[in-house]
Amino acid sequence: MTLHFQPPPPDHVPAARMVDFDFFHIPEGVADPAEIWHDLVRRGVPRIFYTPRNGGHWVFLDYADIVEAYRDYSVFSTCQTPIPPIEPFPVMQPQGVDPPAHNVFRRLLAPMFTPIAVRAMTDELHRRAASLIEPIARRGECDFITEFAERYPTGTFLHLFGLPEDRIDEFLALAKVFFRSTDPAARAANIVEIYAVLEALFREKERNPGTDIATAIVTARDDAGRQHAWEDILNCGFLLFVAGLDTVTNTMAYVWRYLATNPAAQAHFRDRLDDPDAFLRASEELMRINAVSNLYRRVAHDCEFRGVTLRRNDRVILPNTVANRDPRVFRDPDTIDLDRAVNVHVTFGVGPHRCIGSLLAKREIMVSLQEWLRRIPGFELAPDQPPGSVFGGSVMGFTGLKLRWTVPPQ
Amino acid sequence: MRVIANHALCQGHARCEDLCPEVFATDAVEGKVVIADPNVPEALEAKVRLAVRNCPEGALRVARSQEED
Repeated sequence: MTLHFQPPPPDHVPAARMVDFDFFHIPEGVADPAEIWHDLVRRGVPRIFYTPRNGGHWVFLDYADIVEAYRDYSVFSTCQTPIPPIEPFPVMQPQGVDPPAHNVFRRLLAPMFTPIAVRAMTDELHRRAASLIEPIARRGECDFITEFAERYPTGTFLHLFGLPEDRIDEFLALAKVFFRSTDPAARAANIVEIYAVLEALFREKERNPGTDIATAIVTARDDAGRQHAWEDILNCGFLLFVAGLDTVTNTMAYVWRYLATNPAAQAHFRDRLDDPDAFLRASEELMRINAVSNLYRRVAHDCEFRGVTLRRNDRVILPNTVANRDPRVFRDPDTIDLDRAVNVHVTFGVGPHRCIGSLLAKREIMVSLQEWLRRIPGFELAPDQPPGSVFGGSVMGFTGLKLRWTVPPQ
Repeated sequence: MRVIANHALCQGHARCEDLCPEVFATDAVEGKVVIADPNVPEALEAKVRLAVRNCPEGALRVARSQEED
């Protein structure tokens, strides 16, 4: 990794709040990238601290502060937030825009991700999961990431965008570079390629409208009856590509890894396949303990927050995984309780930018788990895991996860 | 018992609808909470209280039956 850009510490940060922390760097031997965050808590670092790594940024560790930052967009903007800073960065619609302008594209997309919309998609999600899992089940082993966790959300994305199934390998390749490449030249070329694909897609949907999300975005009209700015249309497509693929892939990787190493938890879900309430309750706990996203904000103006001096354009990271284990909010936070009754996790964020696809993401994961458990008996980690297969950053996860099970005789 | 939603705080997590669909629904436009009848039958009081406690936005509260919204 070459992401350790370390400018001199700014003069408004007191020495007592300085911690050397690189959230891209997972030390050798650490099997779960989230542990670098929980380790901060165990070390007792300040609950609001500043690290000079990756261009320099703040980290909030308290649930209350993280939630406040999500809600108070007047201080904690979502516009131009990359860490390390990249300027200018595409203004992703609606994620990279603060209210009230944010509401335009948020309202445009919202109807396609409501509980009602997701319920209407559920049969299709089951069909897709089953068709991927059936051939895997007969083999007794798989690389879960490449054979399922990447393919399933990418296939769902193609379906939602009204794109043909046979383009899945092209999209998997685009996503692989976008999410995993550390080569700046490859990344720059990749973004150009993604935008070219989106351009062609939206032009096609303009000519031949369908019933998909791309059509809804390109045919929407603003209050004056005009099509939205073409740049915003592309940036909205870009957001859905960025936000809907890697997050689901890595959450699934986390969940399946946890289940592969916890036979009792596997049995808990298996025993509740016909008890939707209990299955959902247990799934919410999986969401709490497998929060893969660390969100970025940019300080909009000089101010004091909880007695700490923040300066305009300071970056802030909000690690959901830490918020989700705050003992002031969660009883026995480090205990995985699949029957946890009160569970206000912030895995999908809170406030106006709450992950718009959260209900779809959760449904994709639950549907996959149901179809998997119905077809595959007790599964475990294969002994030959690929080495060095964890990564940190804004979305944490695994590049390889080999699973195995005993195929029952026919 | 009555249950009251603050629509300015609701962000459409739909945890309430998941936990007590007898009382909570969500709309088709924004996915925000819809409470058809804020008067909660006694048999559902425990479920509604649990839904209120699970709202990540603190957008729900319970009130006594005679309290104004």
